[in-house]
Amino acid sequence: MQADTTRLFSEYVLGEGVHFRSIQDRRFKTQRISIHMMVPLKKETAAANAMLPYLLTRTNRAYPDYTLLGRRMQELYGASLSGDVQKLGDVQVLSISATGISDRYALHGEKISRELTELLCSSLFEPYLDQDGLFPQDGFGQEKRQTLETIDSELNDKRIYAKRRGLELLLDGEPAALSRYGTREAVASLTREAVAAAWQELLHHARFEIMVMGDCFPELVVDTLRGRFPVGRELSDCTTIAKPSSGQVRERTDCMDVVQCKLIMGFRTGISAQQWQELPALKLMCAVLGGTPHSKLFANVREKMSLCYYCSSRYDSNKGILLIESGVEESNLEKAREAILQQLEEIRSGNVTEEEITSAKLSVCNGLRTVEDYLGGMESWYLSQTFHPRTLTPEDSAQEMQQVTAEQIQKAAEHCVLDAVYVMKGGSEV
Amino acid sequence: MNITRVESIRTGDWYDKIEHPSGLQILVYPKPGSHSTYAVFGTRYGSIDTRFRRSDEETDSEVPAGIAHFLEHKLFENEDCDAFARYAKTGASANAYTSFDMTCYLFSCTENVYESLEILLDFVQKPYFTEQTIQKEQGIIGQEIRMYEDDPSWRGMFNLLHALYHVHPVKTDIAGTVESIAQITPEMLYRCYHTFYNLHNMVLCVAGNVDTEKVLEVADRLLKPAEEVRVERAFPAEPDKIVQPYVEEKLPVSFPMFNLGFKEVPEDGGEKAVAETDILLELFASDASPLFRSLLDAGLINESSFGYDYFTGTGYSAVLFSGESRDPQAVAKAICCEADRLRRKGIDPDDFARAQKAVYGRNLSALNGAENIANGMTAMTFRGQELFRYIDMVAEASLENVQQRLNHQLLPEFSALSVILPDESLTTLEV
Repeated sequence: MQADTTRLFSEYVLGEGVHFRSIQDRRFKTQRISIHMMVPLKKETAAANAMLPYLLTRTNRAYPDYTLLGRRMQELYGASLSGDVQKLGDVQVLSISATGISDRYALHGEKISRELTELLCSSLFEPYLDQDGLFPQDGFGQEKRQTLETIDSELNDKRIYAKRRGLELLLDGEPAALSRYGTREAVASLTREAVAAAWQELLHHARFEIMVMGDCFPELVVDTLRGRFPVGRELSDCTTIAKPSSGQVRERTDCMDVVQCKLIMGFRTGISAQQWQELPALKLMCAVLGGTPHSKLFANVREKMSLCYYCSSRYDSNKGILLIESGVEESNLEKAREAILQQLEEIRSGNVTEEEITSAKLSVCNGLRTVEDYLGGMESWYLSQTFHPRTLTPEDSAQEMQQVTAEQIQKAAEHCVLDAVYVMKGGSEV
Repeated sequence: MNITRVESIRTGDWYDKIEHPSGLQILVYPKPGSHSTYAVFGTRYGSIDTRFRRSDEETDSEVPAGIAHFLEHKLFENEDCDAFARYAKTGASANAYTSFDMTCYLFSCTENVYESLEILLDFVQKPYFTEQTIQKEQGIIGQEIRMYEDDPSWRGMFNLLHALYHVHPVKTDIAGTVESIAQITPEMLYRCYHTFYNLHNMVLCVAGNVDTEKVLEVADRLLKPAEEVRVERAFPAEPDKIVQPYVEEKLPVSFPMFNLGFKEVPEDGGEKAVAETDILLELFASDASPLFRSLLDAGLINESSFGYDYFTGTGYSAVLFSGESRDPQAVAKAICCEADRLRRKGIDPDDFARAQKAVYGRNLSALNGAENIANGMTAMTFRGQELFRYIDMVAEASLENVQQRLNHQLLPEFSALSVILPDESLTTLEV
């Protein structure tokens, strides 16, 4: 039996600011439908918005009880209806998704695609509200408690916590520095009225990216959603600003009872996705610096000098920032900081071998070409490009990477300016 | 060479199983249209294998804790160059991991598949250890151990294993301790290597964009046939009873965390036992279960942290629950009560049918990715299990058999609770 490996891409506009993208791909045994809603990340609205994806997927009018909905998902072969909140630059992305097996594997001929489409659509447009038009108190109370617990437990994973603190320091005062859930205080004082109003705001002002992927039926989703969005929608402004360096290095140290210290170094590059011509070189420079096990940071700072247990760099093309994360012994903090800067200096001075560039290219392209083998990977890939001036396939991007020259890498490194250094260390001495 | 095609009518997938003349078992699972290929070269050798007897020796050997993990780190370094430098030329993304009962070396790539496979088979077969390289690694692994000391969920898990197990080495950290790894010598590493990295004790599993003939061409060239050395794993006799029902520790966390375990007598129930337990746990504690709902309504758990797992290997078996809770004792009590209720009242047939469908669908979904397939098949092979048979066992499970599992699973008298509490004195200071 010859397997069907054809892929069908389609894109539609379903209304003002409602963009639809589908990739039908029968290699997958599953299908995934997602509705991403994008709004500016603001201190005043973040908490109410962040609660919505969870409230909307908790119950709906067809299944007003949490357990009833859960049972229905079990019957659909362990399908899931889930909410998520993330940040994309200065934008808050609120997502609701339905995932399940493909119709052809249903043992009793169930139309999973239709069920998932209707469930997700119902979650967005027909949430379960009480007679006052508010989300019922029990579900609201549950989600509020759980969000507070999630915020509190962010301290538990020291690596993630340190990264967050480092980003807060680097992006101080910018929307992207805010927590995706809003502040603890804002969550604690949320009212049901505020959340219901936020839902209406979303329907009228959010930018929508709808994605349908895998062994799916895109037309079904289009037909179900078409005509459901309010007319005369006015989109809120989702601009992200990539600031240049502040000209000084901000420093902060937190003391905590930890055995291993964390060192986070934040750089401004001034280059974001808007300068798309320079993007491939910056991404490749980041890979040469600390993106692979043969990168300069890993090979030198970790392996040769044994200064860190982990040491890697990451570039965020929406904010135009580069972050280096490392886990360090306290006695090595200064040495590690110097060694890391030295590696960046090496690239700036053109001390990069042909071999280093080739292996970075191979590694980056390998990662890009793997994206299409995972539904989640494809979704993130296209979602991350929502505000970019152009949309590339992973293969387009791989082709661009191949063209980057040594000179361009050297130039890209010159754009990196250290703006923030965050340290988490043990003990409580000041 | 003996090549068997293993097919699954239910999922439409198949793979080739090869008994290679070198003694290695090879599994090749093609995914048509896949861009990437994922390969795992694993040995049935994990952190618990610290006491063993070789078939060609008279007496047991005992080695320091953490040696399997230490070996994993050291194998990446050959005499002339390290494996990462070689992979840099193919673009493969490579890694390795050590668990309680296996050590796996892996890569994922979209180009140069067979060149990468050659590197994998080559470096794992070329041990090279010296006093000097070992000393350096002791420093690096020491840092890794310290990093885990700061991880409250890791600490909570091992505190629980200490409360459940008297003597079984599963209670010891996979990486060992700073003291135990300090005792490691080149001779010990060579000895463990030659005992456990015998091809008869290993598996190669390749999934994705891959062709059986081409895999075998590389295998024929690279694999070095060796005399079969059988290893008898010698575990001290572990009592059925737990050590202590409760253990707690204070750490810099802002919300209490818990790990609850139900120890059980290990059985060799194969795929069937695993399938039945997975269904039992789905109907017992998934987010659609009455237990989950009542814990949620009481504000005792949250959806993002609550989870469960059937934790099983040579000489150990337990059902584990974990999560965050303001009152871990209340959670433990509710879980024990619900297990008793199901024992007395019996499982509802509708709950069973739904749970069975859910577990089936999720396993089918897991066949999307080459990574899941290769890692899953490797682990199952070492346990003497087979992937498609497991999926069939899920589809064919009966309510009666799942109900019977409650007679020896989730028994309150064999449970222990480990709690990580916030330490109020360890507040964050800003300098």
